[in-house]
Amino acid sequence: MHSRVTSSSSGAAVWAILRKECRTEWRTRYGLNAALLFAVTSLTATSFAVGPLGDRPDVLAALLWVVLLFAALASLHHAFVREVESHTMTLLRLVASPTQIALGKLGFNLAFLFVIEAVTVPLFALLSGAPAPRWGPFLGVLALGSVSLAAAATLVGAVVSQTRGRGALFAGVSFPLLLPMLAAAVSGTRAQWAGQPVTSELRLLAAYALGLLAASFVLYDHLWEE
Amino acid sequence: MKRIAVLALFVWIAGWIAAAFLWAPLVPVLGPTTRVLYFHIPAAWVTVLALGWSMVHSVLYLARRRMDHDHHAAGSAEIGILFCVVATLSGSMWAKAMWGSYWNWDPRETSIFFLLLVYGAYLALRASIDDPARRARLSAVYSAIAFVAVPFLIFVVPRIYFSLHPDPIINPQGKIDMDPRIRTTFFALLAGMSALFFWVLNLRVRTGRLETRATEAEIALEASSGRSR
Repeated sequence: MHSRVTSSSSGAAVWAILRKECRTEWRTRYGLNAALLFAVTSLTATSFAVGPLGDRPDVLAALLWVVLLFAALASLHHAFVREVESHTMTLLRLVASPTQIALGKLGFNLAFLFVIEAVTVPLFALLSGAPAPRWGPFLGVLALGSVSLAAAATLVGAVVSQTRGRGALFAGVSFPLLLPMLAAAVSGTRAQWAGQPVTSELRLLAAYALGLLAASFVLYDHLWEE
Repeated sequence: MKRIAVLALFVWIAGWIAAAFLWAPLVPVLGPTTRVLYFHIPAAWVTVLALGWSMVHSVLYLARRRMDHDHHAAGSAEIGILFCVVATLSGSMWAKAMWGSYWNWDPRETSIFFLLLVYGAYLALRASIDDPARRARLSAVYSAIAFVAVPFLIFVVPRIYFSLHPDPIINPQGKIDMDPRIRTTFFALLAGMSALFFWVLNLRVRTGRLETRATEAEIALEASSGRSR
Protein backbone atom coordinates (compact mmCIF):
# COMPACT_ATOMS: atom_id res chain seq x y z
CA MET A 1 0.00 0.00 0.00
CA HIS A 2 2.84 2.37 0.79
CA SER A 3 5.25 1.11 -1.83
CA ARG A 4 4.40 3.50 -4.62
CA VAL A 5 7.88 4.88 -4.22
CA THR A 6 10.44 2.07 -4.16
CA SER A 7 12.73 1.77 -1.16
CA SER A 8 15.81 2.73 -3.18
CA SER A 9 14.29 6.13 -3.87
CA SER A 10 12.72 6.62 -0.42
CA GLY A 11 15.57 8.86 0.69
CA ALA A 12 14.99 10.90 -2.44
CA ALA A 13 11.27 11.17 -1.60
CA VAL A 14 12.03 12.43 1.91
CA TRP A 15 14.49 14.94 0.44
CA ALA A 16 11.95 16.06 -2.17
CA ILE A 17 9.32 16.65 0.52
CA LEU A 18 11.80 18.56 2.66
CA ARG A 19 12.69 20.79 -0.31
CA LYS A 20 9.04 21.29 -1.16
CA GLU A 21 8.30 22.32 2.44
CA CYS A 22 11.15 24.82 2.48
CA ARG A 23 10.09 26.28 -0.85
CA THR A 24 6.42 26.61 0.22
CA GLU A 25 7.45 28.22 3.48
CA TRP A 26 9.86 30.60 1.74
CA ARG A 27 7.17 31.73 -0.68
CA THR A 28 5.02 33.26 2.05
CA ARG A 29 7.28 33.07 5.14
CA TYR A 30 4.02 33.20 7.05
CA GLY A 31 4.96 30.53 9.60
CA LEU A 32 8.52 31.75 10.00
CA ASN A 33 7.48 35.36 10.54
CA ALA A 34 4.85 34.37 13.07
CA ALA A 35 7.28 32.16 14.99
CA LEU A 36 10.06 34.75 15.04
CA LEU A 37 7.67 37.47 16.10
CA PHE A 38 6.37 35.21 18.84
CA ALA A 39 9.87 34.29 20.03
CA VAL A 40 11.14 37.87 20.05
CA THR A 41 8.07 39.29 21.83
CA SER A 42 8.00 36.55 24.47
CA LEU A 43 11.71 36.86 25.21
CA THR A 44 11.41 40.65 25.39
CA ALA A 45 8.49 40.27 27.78
CA THR A 46 10.34 37.81 30.02
CA SER A 47 13.65 39.67 30.16
CA PHE A 48 11.83 42.98 30.65
CA ALA A 49 9.84 41.47 33.52
CA VAL A 50 12.80 39.85 35.31
CA GLY A 51 15.69 42.16 34.43
CA PRO A 52 19.35 41.11 34.07
CA LEU A 53 19.92 37.51 35.14
CA GLY A 54 23.68 37.01 34.70
CA ASP A 55 24.04 35.43 38.16
CA ARG A 56 20.94 33.20 38.04
CA PRO A 57 21.64 30.25 35.70
CA ASP A 58 18.53 28.41 36.99
CA VAL A 59 16.12 31.18 35.96
CA LEU A 60 18.04 31.80 32.72
CA ALA A 61 17.78 28.15 31.67
CA ALA A 62 14.08 27.92 32.49
CA LEU A 63 13.22 31.15 30.66
CA LEU A 64 15.26 30.25 27.59
CA TRP A 65 13.46 26.91 27.18
CA VAL A 66 10.03 28.34 27.89
CA VAL A 67 10.58 30.96 25.16
CA LEU A 68 11.84 28.31 22.70
CA LEU A 69 8.98 25.93 23.55
CA PHE A 70 6.36 28.63 23.07
CA ALA A 71 7.81 29.78 19.77
CA ALA A 72 7.91 26.16 18.56
CA LEU A 73 4.38 25.36 19.71
CA ALA A 74 3.06 28.47 18.02
CA SER A 75 4.02 27.22 14.58
CA LEU A 76 5.34 23.64 14.30
CA HIS A 77 1.92 22.15 13.50
CA HIS A 78 1.90 24.35 10.44
CA ALA A 79 3.54 21.77 8.15
CA PHE A 80 0.59 19.35 8.30
CA VAL A 81 -2.24 21.79 8.84
CA ARG A 82 -1.23 23.56 5.62
CA GLU A 83 -1.73 20.35 3.62
CA VAL A 84 -5.15 19.75 5.12
CA GLU A 85 -6.30 23.33 4.65
CA SER A 86 -5.23 23.48 1.03
CA HIS A 87 -6.57 19.92 0.40
CA THR A 88 -3.21 18.67 -0.88
CA MET A 89 -2.74 15.80 1.59
CA THR A 90 -4.34 13.20 -0.69
CA LEU A 91 -2.10 14.21 -3.57
CA LEU A 92 0.96 14.04 -1.35
CA ARG A 93 -0.02 10.55 -0.20
CA LEU A 94 -0.23 9.40 -3.80
CA VAL A 95 3.44 10.16 -4.38
CA ALA A 96 4.97 9.17 -1.03
CA SER A 97 4.37 6.85 1.94
CA PRO A 98 3.19 8.27 5.29
CA THR A 99 6.64 7.65 6.80
CA GLN A 100 8.40 9.48 3.97
CA ILE A 101 6.00 12.41 4.24
CA ALA A 102 6.48 12.52 7.99
CA LEU A 103 10.27 12.33 7.77
CA GLY A 104 10.34 15.11 5.21
CA LYS A 105 8.17 17.27 7.45
CA LEU A 106 10.27 16.34 10.47
CA GLY A 107 13.38 17.52 8.63
CA PHE A 108 11.61 20.74 7.76
CA ASN A 109 10.44 21.29 11.34
CA LEU A 110 13.97 20.71 12.58
CA ALA A 111 15.42 23.23 10.11
CA PHE A 112 12.64 25.65 11.05
CA LEU A 113 13.50 25.26 14.74
CA PHE A 114 17.20 25.87 14.08
CA VAL A 115 16.39 29.10 12.25
CA ILE A 116 14.24 30.28 15.18
CA GLU A 117 16.99 29.34 17.64
CA ALA A 118 19.68 31.10 15.59
CA VAL A 119 17.75 34.34 16.11
CA THR A 120 16.28 33.78 19.56
CA VAL A 121 19.23 32.38 21.53
CA PRO A 122 21.76 35.19 20.81
CA LEU A 123 19.07 37.81 21.37
CA PHE A 124 18.11 36.14 24.64
CA ALA A 125 21.75 36.05 25.78
CA LEU A 126 22.10 39.73 24.92
CA LEU A 127 18.89 40.92 26.63
CA SER A 128 19.19 38.83 29.77
CA GLY A 129 22.94 39.40 30.26
CA ALA A 130 23.67 35.67 30.25
CA PRO A 131 27.32 34.67 30.83
CA ALA A 132 29.17 32.99 27.95
CA PRO A 133 28.05 29.35 27.71
CA ARG A 134 30.29 26.29 27.51
CA TRP A 135 29.72 25.85 23.80
CA GLY A 136 30.00 22.06 23.52
CA PRO A 137 27.45 21.11 26.22
CA PHE A 138 25.25 24.11 25.45
CA LEU A 139 24.91 23.35 21.73
CA GLY A 140 24.58 19.64 22.51
CA VAL A 141 21.60 20.22 24.82
CA LEU A 142 20.09 22.68 22.34
CA ALA A 143 20.46 20.28 19.37
CA LEU A 144 19.17 17.17 21.17
CA GLY A 145 16.33 19.13 22.74
CA SER A 146 15.38 20.44 19.30
CA VAL A 147 15.29 16.90 17.85
CA SER A 148 12.87 15.76 20.59
CA LEU A 149 10.83 18.92 20.16
CA ALA A 150 10.62 18.48 16.38
CA ALA A 151 9.85 14.74 16.62
CA ALA A 152 7.01 15.20 19.12
CA ALA A 153 5.66 18.26 17.32
CA THR A 154 5.65 16.55 13.92
CA LEU A 155 3.74 13.54 15.19
CA VAL A 156 1.24 15.59 17.21
CA GLY A 157 0.91 18.00 14.28
CA ALA A 158 -0.04 15.08 12.04
CA VAL A 159 -2.64 13.89 14.57
CA VAL A 160 -4.05 17.35 15.25
CA SER A 161 -4.32 18.30 11.57
CA GLN A 162 -7.09 15.67 11.27
CA THR A 163 -9.20 17.11 14.10
CA ARG A 164 -11.52 20.08 14.48
CA GLY A 165 -9.38 21.76 17.16
CA ARG A 166 -6.16 22.11 15.12
CA GLY A 167 -4.08 25.08 16.27
CA ALA A 168 -5.66 25.39 19.69
CA LEU A 169 -5.38 21.68 20.40
CA PHE A 170 -1.78 21.36 19.21
CA ALA A 171 -0.09 23.14 22.13
CA GLY A 172 -2.25 21.40 24.71
CA VAL A 173 -1.70 17.94 23.30
CA SER A 174 2.03 18.20 22.65
CA PHE A 175 2.93 19.91 25.92
CA PRO A 176 2.60 16.79 28.14
CA LEU A 177 4.80 14.85 25.71
CA LEU A 178 7.40 17.59 25.83
CA LEU A 179 7.60 17.87 29.62
CA PRO A 180 10.32 15.19 30.08
CA MET A 181 12.42 16.78 27.34
CA LEU A 182 11.83 20.22 28.85
CA ALA A 183 12.88 19.06 32.33
CA ALA A 184 16.10 17.47 31.01
CA ALA A 185 16.90 20.41 28.71
CA VAL A 186 16.40 23.01 31.45
CA SER A 187 18.47 21.00 33.88
CA GLY A 188 21.23 20.49 31.29
CA THR A 189 21.32 24.17 30.31
CA ARG A 190 21.46 25.19 33.96
CA ALA A 191 24.24 22.68 34.64
CA GLN A 192 26.43 23.97 31.81
CA TRP A 193 26.08 27.57 33.07
CA ALA A 194 26.76 26.46 36.64
CA GLY A 195 29.89 24.58 35.55
CA GLN A 196 28.51 21.14 36.42
CA PRO A 197 28.69 17.97 34.28
CA VAL A 198 25.96 17.67 31.63
CA THR A 199 26.54 14.05 30.54
CA SER A 200 23.48 12.51 32.22
CA GLU A 201 21.14 15.15 30.77
CA LEU A 202 22.63 14.72 27.30
CA ARG A 203 22.14 10.97 27.60
CA LEU A 204 18.52 11.43 28.70
CA LEU A 205 17.79 13.85 25.87
CA ALA A 206 19.35 11.52 23.31
CA ALA A 207 17.39 8.53 24.66
CA TYR A 208 14.17 10.52 24.64
CA ALA A 209 14.71 11.73 21.09
CA LEU A 210 15.49 8.17 19.96
CA GLY A 211 12.40 6.83 21.75
CA LEU A 212 10.17 9.42 20.09
CA LEU A 213 11.71 8.82 16.65
CA ALA A 214 11.36 5.04 16.97
CA ALA A 215 7.74 5.30 18.12
CA SER A 216 7.05 7.74 15.29
CA PHE A 217 8.41 5.29 12.71
CA VAL A 218 6.03 2.60 13.95
CA LEU A 219 3.04 4.92 14.28
CA TYR A 220 3.10 7.03 11.11
CA ASP A 221 1.59 4.25 9.02
CA HIS A 222 -1.46 4.32 11.28
CA LEU A 223 -2.03 8.03 10.79
CA TRP A 224 -3.63 8.14 7.36
CA GLU A 225 -5.96 5.40 6.37
CA GLU A 226 -9.20 6.56 4.88
CA MET B 1 -25.78 -12.93 40.70
CA LYS B 2 -24.11 -9.83 39.30
CA ARG B 3 -26.20 -7.62 41.59
CA ILE B 4 -25.06 -9.64 44.61
CA ALA B 5 -21.41 -9.24 43.57
CA VAL B 6 -21.81 -5.45 43.26
CA LEU B 7 -23.61 -5.26 46.60
CA ALA B 8 -20.85 -7.35 48.20
CA LEU B 9 -18.27 -4.96 46.75
CA PHE B 10 -20.01 -1.95 48.29
CA VAL B 11 -20.37 -3.66 51.67
CA TRP B 12 -16.67 -4.65 51.48
CA ILE B 13 -15.49 -1.09 50.75
CA ALA B 14 -17.83 0.52 53.32
CA GLY B 15 -16.83 -2.01 55.96
CA TRP B 16 -13.12 -1.47 55.47
CA ILE B 17 -13.56 2.31 55.47
CA ALA B 18 -15.26 1.92 58.87
CA ALA B 19 -12.37 -0.32 59.94
CA ALA B 20 -9.89 2.33 58.82
CA PHE B 21 -11.44 4.79 61.26
CA LEU B 22 -12.41 2.49 64.15
CA TRP B 23 -10.14 -0.55 64.14
CA ALA B 24 -6.75 0.31 62.58
CA PRO B 25 -4.32 2.16 64.89
CA LEU B 26 -2.65 5.48 64.05
CA VAL B 27 1.02 5.74 63.12
CA PRO B 28 2.92 7.86 65.73
CA VAL B 29 4.50 10.45 63.43
CA LEU B 30 1.48 10.82 61.15
CA GLY B 31 -1.24 10.95 63.82
CA PRO B 32 -4.80 11.29 62.50
CA THR B 33 -3.46 11.88 58.99
CA THR B 34 -2.63 8.14 58.87
CA ARG B 35 -6.15 7.59 57.53
CA VAL B 36 -5.35 9.40 54.30
CA LEU B 37 -3.18 6.38 53.47
CA TYR B 38 -6.25 4.16 52.98
CA PHE B 39 -7.71 6.44 50.32
CA HIS B 40 -4.72 8.18 48.81
CA ILE B 41 -2.53 5.19 47.94
CA PRO B 42 -5.36 3.00 46.55
CA ALA B 43 -6.54 5.97 44.47
CA ALA B 44 -2.99 6.52 43.17
CA TRP B 45 -2.67 2.80 42.47
CA VAL B 46 -5.98 2.70 40.56
CA THR B 47 -4.81 5.76 38.57
CA VAL B 48 -1.69 3.92 37.44
CA LEU B 49 -3.66 0.73 36.79
CA ALA B 50 -6.31 2.57 34.77
CA LEU B 51 -3.90 4.63 32.70
CA GLY B 52 -1.69 1.58 32.07
CA TRP B 53 -4.81 -0.34 31.01
CA SER B 54 -5.71 2.53 28.68
CA MET B 55 -2.26 2.52 27.04
CA VAL B 56 -2.28 -1.26 26.58
CA HIS B 57 -5.70 -1.15 24.91
CA SER B 58 -4.63 1.77 22.70
CA VAL B 59 -1.71 -0.27 21.41
CA LEU B 60 -3.98 -3.30 21.02
CA TYR B 61 -6.41 -1.17 19.02
CA LEU B 62 -3.68 -0.19 16.56
CA ALA B 63 -2.69 -3.84 16.19
CA ARG B 64 -6.17 -5.40 15.93
CA ARG B 65 -8.60 -2.57 15.06
CA ARG B 66 -11.42 -3.77 17.28
CA MET B 67 -13.71 -1.04 18.60
CA ASP B 68 -13.85 -2.76 21.99
CA HIS B 69 -10.21 -1.86 22.62
CA ASP B 70 -11.09 1.78 22.03
CA HIS B 71 -13.98 1.55 24.52
CA HIS B 72 -11.57 0.10 27.07
CA ALA B 73 -8.90 2.73 26.35
CA ALA B 74 -11.30 5.69 26.57
CA GLY B 75 -13.23 4.34 29.56
CA SER B 76 -10.19 3.60 31.66
CA ALA B 77 -8.64 6.99 30.79
CA GLU B 78 -11.79 8.73 32.07
CA ILE B 79 -11.93 6.67 35.26
CA GLY B 80 -8.16 7.02 35.70
CA ILE B 81 -8.46 10.80 35.59
CA LEU B 82 -11.21 10.68 38.20
CA PHE B 83 -9.06 8.59 40.55
CA CYS B 84 -6.06 10.77 39.74
CA VAL B 85 -7.98 13.82 40.94
CA VAL B 86 -8.88 11.97 44.15
CA ALA B 87 -5.23 10.95 44.67
CA THR B 88 -3.97 14.47 43.92
CA LEU B 89 -6.48 16.19 46.20
CA SER B 90 -6.07 13.75 49.09
CA GLY B 91 -2.27 13.93 48.74
CA SER B 92 -2.41 17.70 48.62
CA MET B 93 -4.56 17.89 51.76
CA TRP B 94 -2.17 15.54 53.52
CA ALA B 95 0.81 17.60 52.34
CA LYS B 96 -0.77 20.74 53.82
CA ALA B 97 -1.22 18.98 57.16
CA MET B 98 2.25 17.43 57.27
CA TRP B 99 4.56 19.59 55.16
CA GLY B 100 2.76 22.90 55.56
CA SER B 101 1.99 23.53 51.91
CA TYR B 102 -0.48 22.10 49.42
CA TRP B 103 2.03 21.61 46.63
CA ASN B 104 5.77 20.91 46.78
CA TRP B 105 6.68 19.43 43.37
CA ASP B 106 7.59 16.23 45.10
CA PRO B 107 8.58 13.63 42.43
CA ARG B 108 5.39 11.70 42.93
CA GLU B 109 3.26 14.82 42.90
CA THR B 110 5.00 15.72 39.68
CA SER B 111 4.55 12.35 37.98
CA ILE B 112 0.86 12.03 38.91
CA PHE B 113 0.24 15.59 37.75
CA PHE B 114 2.01 14.73 34.53
CA LEU B 115 -0.25 11.72 34.00
CA LEU B 116 -3.22 14.02 34.58
CA LEU B 117 -1.94 16.36 31.84
CA VAL B 118 -1.26 13.50 29.40
CA TYR B 119 -4.77 12.10 29.80
CA GLY B 120 -6.43 15.50 29.95
CA ALA B 121 -4.89 16.07 26.52
CA TYR B 122 -6.04 12.57 25.46
CA LEU B 123 -9.66 13.41 26.31
CA ALA B 124 -9.41 16.86 24.66
CA LEU B 125 -8.12 15.16 21.52
CA ARG B 126 -10.96 12.62 21.55
CA ALA B 127 -13.53 15.35 22.00
CA SER B 128 -12.44 17.10 18.82
CA ILE B 129 -12.86 14.14 16.43
CA ASP B 130 -16.35 13.09 15.34
CA ASP B 131 -15.81 9.96 13.26
CA PRO B 132 -15.51 7.01 15.72
CA ALA B 133 -12.92 5.03 13.72
CA ARG B 134 -10.72 8.05 13.18
CA ARG B 135 -11.10 9.08 16.81
CA ALA B 136 -10.07 5.61 17.95
CA ARG B 137 -7.06 5.51 15.63
CA LEU B 138 -5.69 9.00 16.34
CA SER B 139 -6.16 8.84 20.09
CA ALA B 140 -4.47 5.43 20.11
CA VAL B 141 -1.50 6.94 18.24
CA TYR B 142 -1.29 9.74 20.81
CA SER B 143 -1.55 7.29 23.69
CA ALA B 144 1.21 5.12 22.22
CA ILE B 145 3.51 8.16 22.01
CA ALA B 146 2.64 9.08 25.60
CA PHE B 147 3.82 5.57 26.45
CA VAL B 148 7.33 6.77 25.52
CA ALA B 149 7.08 9.92 27.63
CA VAL B 150 5.78 8.47 30.90
CA PRO B 151 8.75 6.30 31.93
CA PHE B 152 11.09 9.17 31.10
CA LEU B 153 9.35 11.47 33.49
CA ILE B 154 9.68 8.85 36.19
CA PHE B 155 13.45 8.73 35.54
CA VAL B 156 14.02 12.44 34.86
CA VAL B 157 12.08 13.95 37.73
CA PRO B 158 13.70 12.14 40.68
CA ARG B 159 17.14 13.34 39.67
CA ILE B 160 15.92 16.94 39.58
CA TYR B 161 13.67 17.12 42.65
CA PHE B 162 14.24 15.87 46.17
CA SER B 163 11.52 13.62 47.61
CA LEU B 164 9.55 14.44 50.75
CA HIS B 165 7.26 11.45 50.33
CA PRO B 166 6.66 9.53 53.57
CA ASP B 167 7.39 6.02 52.48
CA PRO B 168 11.09 6.46 51.68
CA ILE B 169 11.47 8.63 54.81
CA ILE B 170 9.36 6.86 57.43
CA ASN B 171 9.79 3.35 56.18
CA PRO B 172 12.92 2.90 54.06
CA GLN B 173 12.82 -0.91 54.40
CA GLY B 174 9.44 -1.18 52.64
CA LYS B 175 6.10 -1.93 54.19
CA ILE B 176 7.05 -5.06 56.10
CA ASP B 177 7.13 -3.44 59.58
CA MET B 178 3.61 -2.05 59.17
CA ASP B 179 1.15 -2.85 61.94
CA PRO B 180 -0.84 -5.93 60.79
CA ARG B 181 -4.18 -4.13 61.28
CA ILE B 182 -3.02 -1.22 59.12
CA ARG B 183 -1.68 -3.62 56.51
CA THR B 184 -4.91 -5.65 56.38
CA THR B 185 -7.12 -2.56 56.07
CA PHE B 186 -4.81 -1.03 53.47
CA PHE B 187 -4.67 -4.10 51.21
CA ALA B 188 -8.40 -4.76 51.65
CA LEU B 189 -9.17 -1.24 50.44
CA LEU B 190 -6.59 -1.56 47.66
CA ALA B 191 -8.37 -4.70 46.43
CA GLY B 192 -11.78 -3.09 46.88
CA MET B 193 -10.85 0.02 44.89
CA SER B 194 -9.32 -2.09 42.12
CA ALA B 195 -12.54 -4.14 41.90
CA LEU B 196 -14.52 -0.88 41.87
CA PHE B 197 -12.42 0.27 38.91
CA PHE B 198 -13.10 -2.87 36.90
CA TRP B 199 -16.81 -2.71 37.69
CA VAL B 200 -17.13 0.94 36.58
CA LEU B 201 -14.98 0.20 33.52
CA ASN B 202 -17.27 -2.68 32.63
CA LEU B 203 -20.28 -0.34 32.78
CA ARG B 204 -18.43 2.24 30.67
CA VAL B 205 -17.40 -0.32 28.03
CA ARG B 206 -20.99 -1.52 27.76
CA THR B 207 -22.33 2.01 27.24
CA GLY B 208 -19.57 2.49 24.66
CA ARG B 209 -20.74 -0.63 22.79
CA LEU B 210 -24.34 0.64 22.89
CA GLU B 211 -23.24 4.01 21.51
CA THR B 212 -21.42 2.30 18.64
CA ARG B 213 -24.48 0.18 17.88
CA ALA B 214 -26.75 3.22 17.99
CA THR B 215 -24.49 5.09 15.55
CA GLU B 216 -24.41 2.09 13.23
CA ALA B 217 -28.19 1.77 13.38
CA GLU B 218 -28.56 5.46 12.60
CA ILE B 219 -26.28 5.15 9.58
CA ALA B 220 -28.16 2.05 8.37
CA LEU B 221 -31.49 3.85 8.81
CA GLU B 222 -30.28 6.86 6.86
CA ALA B 223 -28.98 4.61 4.09
CA SER B 224 -32.26 2.72 3.80
CA SER B 225 -34.40 5.88 3.84
CA GLY B 226 -32.10 7.35 1.22
CA ARG B 227 -32.63 4.26 -0.95
CA SER B 228 -36.44 4.37 -0.63
CA ARG B 229 -36.58 8.01 -1.70
